[in-house]
Amino acid sequence: MTRTVVRASGLTKRYGSFTALDGVDLSIEEHRIYGLLGRNGAGKTTIMQLLTGQIFANGGELEVFGRTPAEHSDVLRRMCFIAESQRYPEDFTPAHVFKSAPWFFENWDAEYAERLVSDFRLPVKRRVKKLSRGQLSAVGVIVGLASRAPLTFFDEPYLGLDAVARHIFYDRLLEDYAEHPRTVVLSTHLIDEVANLLEHVILIDQGRILLDRDADEVRGSATTIAGARRVVDDFVADRPVIGRESLGGLASVTIDGRLDQAERIRAAELGLELAPVSLQQLIVHLTGTDLAGTTEQEAAA
Amino acid sequence: MTAVATAPVTETASRFRPHEIWRIVRLHTVNPSIFFGVPWIILGGAWAVTMVIALILRSAGISDAEDGFRYSWAVLSPQWYLIVVGVQALAYTFPFALGFGATRRDFWLGTAAMFLFVSIEMAAAIATLVQLEILTDGWWVGAGMFDALWYGIDGWLVDFYTTFALQLLVLFIGASITTVFMRWRMKGMMILLFGAVAVVLALIAGLTFTESWPAVFDWFGSIGLVGVFTVLLGLAAVCAVAGYLVIRRATPR
Repeated sequence: MTRTVVRASGLTKRYGSFTALDGVDLSIEEHRIYGLLGRNGAGKTTIMQLLTGQIFANGGELEVFGRTPAEHSDVLRRMCFIAESQRYPEDFTPAHVFKSAPWFFENWDAEYAERLVSDFRLPVKRRVKKLSRGQLSAVGVIVGLASRAPLTFFDEPYLGLDAVARHIFYDRLLEDYAEHPRTVVLSTHLIDEVANLLEHVILIDQGRILLDRDADEVRGSATTIAGARRVVDDFVADRPVIGRESLGGLASVTIDGRLDQAERIRAAELGLELAPVSLQQLIVHLTGTDLAGTTEQEAAA
Repeated sequence: MTAVATAPVTETASRFRPHEIWRIVRLHTVNPSIFFGVPWIILGGAWAVTMVIALILRSAGISDAEDGFRYSWAVLSPQWYLIVVGVQALAYTFPFALGFGATRRDFWLGTAAMFLFVSIEMAAAIATLVQLEILTDGWWVGAGMFDALWYGIDGWLVDFYTTFALQLLVLFIGASITTVFMRWRMKGMMILLFGAVAVVLALIAGLTFTESWPAVFDWFGSIGLVGVFTVLLGLAAVCAVAGYLVIRRATPR
């Protein structure tokens, strides 16, 4: 049986009058890869900071490895969290980071870290301040991978990484995860890049969880139907519509839920086109109301 | 901190965790130039300048009796830098240590240990350099960098003690004030600043109205040099304890 490593209920974090997290319920099972997805400022980093005891909640309950994480050494030692905007000690270089890492992570694999450094072509003697955004992300990725912490967080690991580096991260994470199973929580707003990596998706927007589901379920959970506007409208009449785009007499409507065989045949007979919805599209539909929002959508609402 | 009752994780056997604290000391020294390199570069630079001045004075025919090396502050030159080191230990190293899974408690205890080591090192070195300077008659040219201010008068032990107290205070002031920022941000800093100014003004007003200034000066005179630096050491201890209390709920930026 898999163990639950994180259990949160009603987790709330406020900064003055701004509510960063609003009563979040969440559980994370052992040995899975979670995607913490959402737009910028959705509350992804806040969740990770709470889970690693870096900040304190204003309300709700939180247990990580069975205890509140803050100030509990036996919980914190099992976690690794290099924030996207991580601060490093004055005049630190990546070499300093990797030298001190084994004092904090008992499973640290120095050889593996060295290999990753050459894979990412990270200049280890350059000051952290002088690193490019991608190189900075690489530092976090290398620490996250080589620490082999039972609960590892990657905060926007793809930020600034070039295509080759993104590919390396993807490959290394899957390889190492297979050999050393652990729980991974990966936050990103670049969803298509990681879609295939994720086993579970937690979608957060404006401090609330919109979706908390198995990734495979999510991938097949929505369908886009395109065709003549009137035909499409008839077809989706009694279905939960989560997105709608239209151009002249044509419409493309995304519904929450999958179509069965009979419905697919009927759609084909009506001359409608069916398309699968990628994770990214689905998330844009769920969170991007102000972006994708059209007058149509407001009329429909 | 109250939800511990149902914990399946075994309690840490001891509240005192030498390994966890020691690794913070190592984290502070992984880049040794911060605590050890730069202060000595500054001191070395000040020494070089002092030497040049001494050589100029001597070649101009001014004797050691007439020069003013006793009033040179060069020996204190690294202190301005070390107050910044105390600030940076909290502003930069603290968030990093949290990311590496250290507790605030262990971070503060490790940092305090580091400050203690640095103060002992600086105190021993400066007290010894004072003696060397006296022994070599001002590095053979009558220069007075270390044998200045209150140094070189009451012997090695007093020089060691006073430097140690001052050094510890400088480091802990920088670090403990920064814990206030890390916990309450700008608002906390403002309250601390205005609070401190108000307390100082109230003190001045109180002493002036009660005409107790002579008594204060008498008291400082009676406790002597060692007494004054013991007061500084006490202030350092207050900063250390206050910093410990404040950092327990501090959050990284």
